[in-house]
Amino acid sequence: MDSDKFKEMIENESDDDGDESEKISETFICCVCRDLLYKPVVLGCGHISCFWCIHKSMSGLHKSRCPICRNRYYHFPSICQTLHFLLLKMYPTAYKKRENQTLEEEKSIGYFSPQFNGPADQLQYEETIVHPSDALPFFSRAETKTGEILEMMEHVESVSDKQEIGLTYFQGPKENIAATSVSIVEDENSNQINGRTCQQVSFDDVLCGSCKNMLFRPIVLNCGHAFCICCVVLHTNEMLKCEVCQSPHPGGIPKVCLEFEHFLEEQFPIEYGLRRCSLQMKQEQFSYETPNTCSSEAGKENFHFSFSSGEDPLPWWNANSKVHIGVGCDSCGMYPIIGDRYRCKDCVEQIGYDLCKDCYTTRSKLPGRFSQQHTSDHKFEIVKSSSMHNIMLRLLRGQLQEVSAVALNEASENLVPSLTDDNTNEETENVVDAPLPSSESGPNESDNQRSA
Amino acid sequence: MVDFARVQKELQECNRDFGVSGIKVIPKNEANLTQLLGTIPGPLGTPYEGGTFNIDINLPDGYPFEPPKMKFATKVWHPNISSQSGAICLDILKDQWSPALTLKTALLSVQALLSAPEPDDPQDAVVAQQYLREYQTYVGTARYWTEAFAKASSLNVEEKVQKLVEMGFPEALVRSALESVGGDENLALEKLCSG
Repeated sequence: MDSDKFKEMIENESDDDGDESEKISETFICCVCRDLLYKPVVLGCGHISCFWCIHKSMSGLHKSRCPICRNRYYHFPSICQTLHFLLLKMYPTAYKKRENQTLEEEKSIGYFSPQFNGPADQLQYEETIVHPSDALPFFSRAETKTGEILEMMEHVESVSDKQEIGLTYFQGPKENIAATSVSIVEDENSNQINGRTCQQVSFDDVLCGSCKNMLFRPIVLNCGHAFCICCVVLHTNEMLKCEVCQSPHPGGIPKVCLEFEHFLEEQFPIEYGLRRCSLQMKQEQFSYETPNTCSSEAGKENFHFSFSSGEDPLPWWNANSKVHIGVGCDSCGMYPIIGDRYRCKDCVEQIGYDLCKDCYTTRSKLPGRFSQQHTSDHKFEIVKSSSMHNIMLRLLRGQLQEVSAVALNEASENLVPSLTDDNTNEETENVVDAPLPSSESGPNESDNQRSA
Repeated sequence: MVDFARVQKELQECNRDFGVSGIKVIPKNEANLTQLLGTIPGPLGTPYEGGTFNIDINLPDGYPFEPPKMKFATKVWHPNISSQSGAICLDILKDQWSPALTLKTALLSVQALLSAPEPDDPQDAVVAQQYLREYQTYVGTARYWTEAFAKASSLNVEEKVQKLVEMGFPEALVRSALESVGGDENLALEKLCSG
């Protein structure tokens, strides 16, 4: 009942900034801040919101829920760069305004969201979108030293050269459609009175990371990369991996991002129809067992975390689980971290850099979620979650029967669980001296991966 | 920190389609957007029909990530609303709150609660008992309370002020009390009496 209401509300909500020359489509209004989406993230249920809106609405204590459909999720998704650059292109003024606003807020709280601009501004957007995998390690360094920009530019140029070679294979069909797309964009532009604001959004802005065609029924993975739903295949007994950056995506195939789909349908009606036709053949061979869009009711039932083994990967309240309240993994976004937590000893930022056990062992190379200047030669230490915290938490959650078990367990584990620990909260147990065993620097390694 | 930009937007939007929804939200004081007064019409076909109910809204610091605090300022006879304090028992105002909800949608839900009481999860046990055991009495009482407390008085503001001043309250106090409760002279009287 309620969800219908907010849908209706969101639809009724017309843009108040009538004085601005950019008319922002309802599609791109964030459901939380009611403003233009800024640094959009897409949840597993396919709903979009701003980076900070989602971050603020997440719970550091337990699983979070989607603001729109209340779908439960554990991982804070990365920003969808496809959408980010699309919005920047479509609404440059409004997006810049949002950027400035957000930057002010970030300065006051001292944490910063990942920055994609800087070098990316000087590039053609298409290049950055087409090749996010190379862009990622590159972004992580992007802020470290501005003096490096030239060097980075060279790197990106070499990347885009290689990319072109890779693309020639797909060039044939794409060019045909691209030609039609241009004519359509022109048509629409002639209808637009204030054409000065909205740069032409082209087909290249909305490419699938896998088939390099225009996205069809787009889904966005936890790492922020967008794919057509039919390009992503979930092998049984394996965790879904992003084809572009190889990072694992928890929770099975995400739902189609309907807002994004509607936008594509409106913006490129002919191409979208063509894509539909060409895929229909394939789809006949496929049959989806589960609905792949989120209806808020179905979402609740069907959207269990389906990890490979089928069991709940995060045994939240079993007596041995360690919950690191309010601490998230900077790689996969798990929040709060359950199980072992690895904290970077060398990151100076107030927010710190933490990894969950899985990301530590898989040597994640993703940059921090809050623009920490983390590099691969930083050292990590294991952090124990405070036993008192866990007991308190269970008390709060009304799981009294488990508390005694936990207390016993913890007491036997660490022999000195003195009450003074309360002040320090977290007790550093053993220090992992070995740096992350990544032998090569980021860009080289990703090159290797690509050629492999 | 309350997201005032969003609150502004919400107020504009809510009051724009007042004609359709009948729901209104106004700041009690222009300088402070955390203290608001919402107004909902009693749903048709219920004992609350014809009434106009005022709801005190207090935005916590975490809004919109925390639910707004709402309670009825108008007295109402309903199993899920305290007849004494006006406290509302509604899940979306507690653990089921979502930042995608707005003041307007929350007020719509409160309005829906008026038309669909949940006596099994009561806020006011006396009303709930009555609702379950003597439904007709409940309907009668609820209608009476609507007539007595939620009907827009035929008196205009000046008449209300005069009426209260005649009771012996200073005029300035009367005016501010009336203003703070949205012009309801019964509530203003209560406020004046309680100091």
